[in-house]
Parts: sequence; structure tokens; C-alpha cells
Amino acid sequence: METESNLSVDTNKKRPALTWRGRSDRLAGRLFFIFSVIPVGLVLLIVVMLVIKSWPLLKTHSLWLLLSGQTWKPEEGFFGFWPFIAGTFWVTAAALGLAVPPSLLTAIYLSEYSGRTLRALMKPLLDLLAAIPSVIYGVWGTLAIVPIIQNNLIPFIRQYVGNIPLISSQNSTGFGILAGGIVLAIMIMPFIIAVLYEILDNVPRGLKEASLGVGATRLQTVRWAVLPKVLPGLVAGIVFGASRALGETMAVLMVVGNVAQTPHSLLDAAYPLPALIANNYGEMMSIPLYDSALMTSALILLILILIFNITSALILRRVLGRKWV
Amino acid sequence: MARKSWRCGMAVVLFALLLGACGSSTPLSQPGALKGTVTVSGAFALYPMMTRWAEEFQKIYPDVQFDISGGGAGKGMTDALSGAADIGMVSRSIKPEEENQGAFFVGCVKDAVFPVVNAKNPVIDEIMAKGITQDTLRKIFITGEIKTWGEVTGRPEVRDEIHLYTRSDAAGAAEVWAQFLGGKGQADLQGIGVNADPGLLDAVVKDALGIGYNNLGYAFDLATGNLPAGTIVVPIDANKDGRANGDEIISTLAQATEAVASGKYPAPPARVLNLVTKGRPAGLVQTFIIWILTDGQQYVSEAGFVQLPPETLSQALDKVK
Repeated sequence: METESNLSVDTNKKRPALTWRGRSDRLAGRLFFIFSVIPVGLVLLIVVMLVIKSWPLLKTHSLWLLLSGQTWKPEEGFFGFWPFIAGTFWVTAAALGLAVPPSLLTAIYLSEYSGRTLRALMKPLLDLLAAIPSVIYGVWGTLAIVPIIQNNLIPFIRQYVGNIPLISSQNSTGFGILAGGIVLAIMIMPFIIAVLYEILDNVPRGLKEASLGVGATRLQTVRWAVLPKVLPGLVAGIVFGASRALGETMAVLMVVGNVAQTPHSLLDAAYPLPALIANNYGEMMSIPLYDSALMTSALILLILILIFNITSALILRRVLGRKWV
Repeated sequence: MARKSWRCGMAVVLFALLLGACGSSTPLSQPGALKGTVTVSGAFALYPMMTRWAEEFQKIYPDVQFDISGGGAGKGMTDALSGAADIGMVSRSIKPEEENQGAFFVGCVKDAVFPVVNAKNPVIDEIMAKGITQDTLRKIFITGEIKTWGEVTGRPEVRDEIHLYTRSDAAGAAEVWAQFLGGKGQADLQGIGVNADPGLLDAVVKDALGIGYNNLGYAFDLATGNLPAGTIVVPIDANKDGRANGDEIISTLAQATEAVASGKYPAPPARVLNLVTKGRPAGLVQTFIIWILTDGQQYVSEAGFVQLPPETLSQALDKVK
């Protein structure tokens, strides 16, 4: 930057005819700088604001008790965030469990098997899936997914496999982690597929050709030549999907049941952090420390998402060999 | 060096601007000229009434625009106090903490919260014949002691589970319903949290074993005056005689309004719906609220709501003026 701008200053001195050009160039540079600073500044501003607003709660309650506490009764002064943190991880894990295998297969198909036409057709469709507003997924979840779980899946489970720990539950309404996981899985699949596809596509052509050349089938090539090479990248893609799933609010809120308890089963209701903030925005003004507690939950969520995002960015950077992702 | 400090300076100025932008709000109403936009948000209970009032008010003052949204009583309160809305609709009593922060409120109309079950409920005949007592509802919603529909009607052979639904968003309906059942607030209600009044109704409509509660404007179809397809309002056995008597069975909007107006329906869950502003309203907002308390009252029963007694209305009017 320094040398470039020095250069333009020098040009100005030597060639007065270009003064206006030089100036406008410098002005544009400054203008662009201002606009590129805004988003970064906003994130910092949000973090600072969240810390300031959370401070009243953090000052009076031990951080460990806040994070590990199981009881959420703001009116009585109990602020245990554990049910919400656990709920967030349960829903995210369910979504990843459902989204990653089909995403991986789709990405492998698109990059290794499909013809150019199909690929050109599929990519925009997947992007379209990513652009559907989350409230629509939420409505679809309550109208389609919840009744199926309530009327078909739960009776089946109770009759045949009712004693398996992770799926047995008192809750038989269909609203719960599984419904949230299904809706979320479909929402994050386009993103995971896009990242995985790019990583697979980035594998040197020579590697694949060498493998095919010695008589390996395409499946063998994928399994023994391509996948080992991109393993860290796959992890990054999955972490990237997780960081999207962590923050998703509306669609999850509509189907997840919103019960402040620590879930023990896929069919239990849960209460993820974003839903906590969205639902209780209205109580902020009336219960002491409640606004501070909501800001603390926002801070926890932000930190979780930052950790996930930074991890995936670092791995992706290594895999794709780029400076920026 | 100079260039670097220029950048730092710009960054600082920018953040200052951003901070400043967060705090400012545009005054929407000007005294005198009835022109401008009134933003209203909050309780679903009041939402259908408010849209009607806005419609009628616009007929008189065509230059006034309305922006009305739901979101629950809590959102109405928060929006009004934070300046995001001119008027907050709050379907519960105002808490001292809220008054301390400058919440100014007037009651404008009455309605009630009704327990709602699915029409295909396995014990629907018994429920309609016997009603459900307040204590039984408490054991369903607050303590969770009663878990099957058989226990509700004294037929232990019916083992169907109760699917209990409640509001997930901060709602006035949830608060008065909890108070009716001996709880302190929304947090005391058990059950699966569903977002918004229509969402809660929909969960019960789709679930034969479901029970929930709705504001008058959703428990009944305001257009037809009947129950929405697939739901039934549970008769509350107020005199505990083990039978649902004439007044306790509420199956049309007219019966519901009559029961609330005459005081036969218990309060809570009958309650006054409030309009909240930050500080005493002025200008257009004040004019609109005064209109609601006077001329606007003629649309109340038409819309299916219950008018406040005349002396309460005139007190409210004095408070606003």
C-alpha cells in the first residue's frame, strides 16, 4: 500500500497533467477503505456492546455457575445457561449427522461422476435452496416434519425400540431436536455441498488420472486417492456447516419445542441459544438482570460461532493453499 | 506516518457516527397536521382490534399510515420503551419495573384467554358434558401431575397422553393463563413452546391429543363468529359441580363476549388490554389513542371484543389528555 501510494504521489509531481487522476485514485482508495472498515468495526462494536451489557450479570454471578447451571428461572434470579448450550449442541449435532453424509455423496458425485450439463443444472438449484428464507423452512417443518414424527415415528419407536437411550423420550408431540435437526440439515446442506465440492474439485487432476490410469475404478480413486488428500478439508466444510447451524434461529425456534431443560434424547424438546434470545426479547424490560442475561447468551453464542468459524477458516486456508478463504 | 494516523482518525470518526446512529430516532408525529406514520407492535390479543381501528381511523384521516405487527405483549413493551414502536400493545398488567422505565399505559378494551382442545380429542364428549375445573387445569399446565386424558375425565382406562402446548414468545396470554392457574408468570407453564398465537392454535388443530390456550381473537374466528375448524373451547367448570352448565359452555364468539362482559367468565383469564407509549403520548399518537377511547369504541363489539365500563374509559381519557 505504502509503495503504491508513494508511486502515485511521485507521478503527480512529475506529470502535472495527471493530478486529477492521481487525486481521484487516492480518494477512491480512501473511500473503499472506509467501507471495508465498517463491517469489521461493527463486529468489534457488537462484541464490546455485548460485554458491557452482560457485565451486570457477570459481575454478580460466577461464570462457571452461569455456564454449568441447569436452572433457568429469571424471576427468581437463577440464570443457568447449560440447558441452552446443550440444546444448541444437540440440535447442531443432529443437523450435521443428517446433513453431512448426503452432502459428501452429492459433492463427490458432482465433482467426480456427473457430466458438465448436470453439474451446471445442479449448482444453481443448490444455491436456490440456500436462498430460501428460514421462516419458510420453519413453516414447512411445523406443517410437514412435526406431524410425521408425531404420528408415525414416535408410535413406531415406542412400540419397537422404546428402550434405546438416545431416542426414548417422554415428549410425544413431535416438536423437538429431531424436527429441528431435519429442518436445519436441509438448510445447511447447500453450504456444506458447496464447500466440499470446491475442495474435491481442487484435488490435482494428475492424481485422479494417475489412479484411473493404473486401472482403479472411479470409486476406488475417490476412496484411496481423493478422500485421504482432502480429509482436513472435509472437516473444515463440516465445521463451516456447524457454525451456520449454531446461529440459525427462526426455523429451529418454530419446531424445537422451546423447553428449558437439558435434553437427553433426540426426541426431547430443546431450547437453543438463538431461540432463547428471540423468544424472550420481550421480557427484557421487566425482569431485573434479564436483559443482561440475554446479552450474555448472545455473547456465548457469538464466541461459539467465532471459534467454529475461525477453526474452519484456518483449516480451509491450509487445504486450499490460499491466503484468504 | 501521516497517512496511517489519517486512517485511524477516519475509523474513529466512523465508529462515532455508527454509535450516534444507534441512539437517534426520527420523530414521527407532528402536532396539528394529521399526517404521518404510527407504528404499533405487540400482543396478538389486540392485533385484530388494532387493525380494525387503524382501518376506520384512516377513513377519517387518509394521510395517516399505520404499521402494525404482532410479536407478543413483551415485544410490544420492549418496542414501545426502546422507541422501535410508537404504541405497544400489552395484553397483561404493567409491571412496576416497566413503569419505572417510563411506560405510560391506558386500558382500551377487554378480552380473555380460553383453553382450547382438538375436536377429535378421545374424551371430547366427557369434556363437553363435565367441563374441566380450574384445579385440574392447574395440574395439567403448572404441576404436570395429570398426564393422560383419562385422568382429566376420571376414566383411567383412557391412556392417551396429553400433548401440552404453551407460548414460547413472551406473551400476555401466557401470563394471565398462568395467573389463573395459580402460577406467577409464563415460566410456570409447562409444555412445548410454540411461537405466536396462530402457531399455538395450529399446533392444537393438528394434534388430536393437544391442549393449549388462545386469546379471544384466535380461539374464535372473528369473521364468522364460530370456532376455527378442528378446535373446541374447553368449558371451565367454574362452580365445580362436575357438570358444564349453560354459561360455562362457550362455543360462539357471541357467547364468549357475553361471558366476559357479564363477568361470568373468570378474570384472569379475562383481562384488560393496554396501549403503552414511552411517556405521555403527544401529537398524532395522542389523537389516535383518544379516538380509540371515544369514537373507536363503537367498533369494539363488532370486532368481537368487550368494551370497558364507561367510567374506566373516561378515567383512561383523562389520563391521556
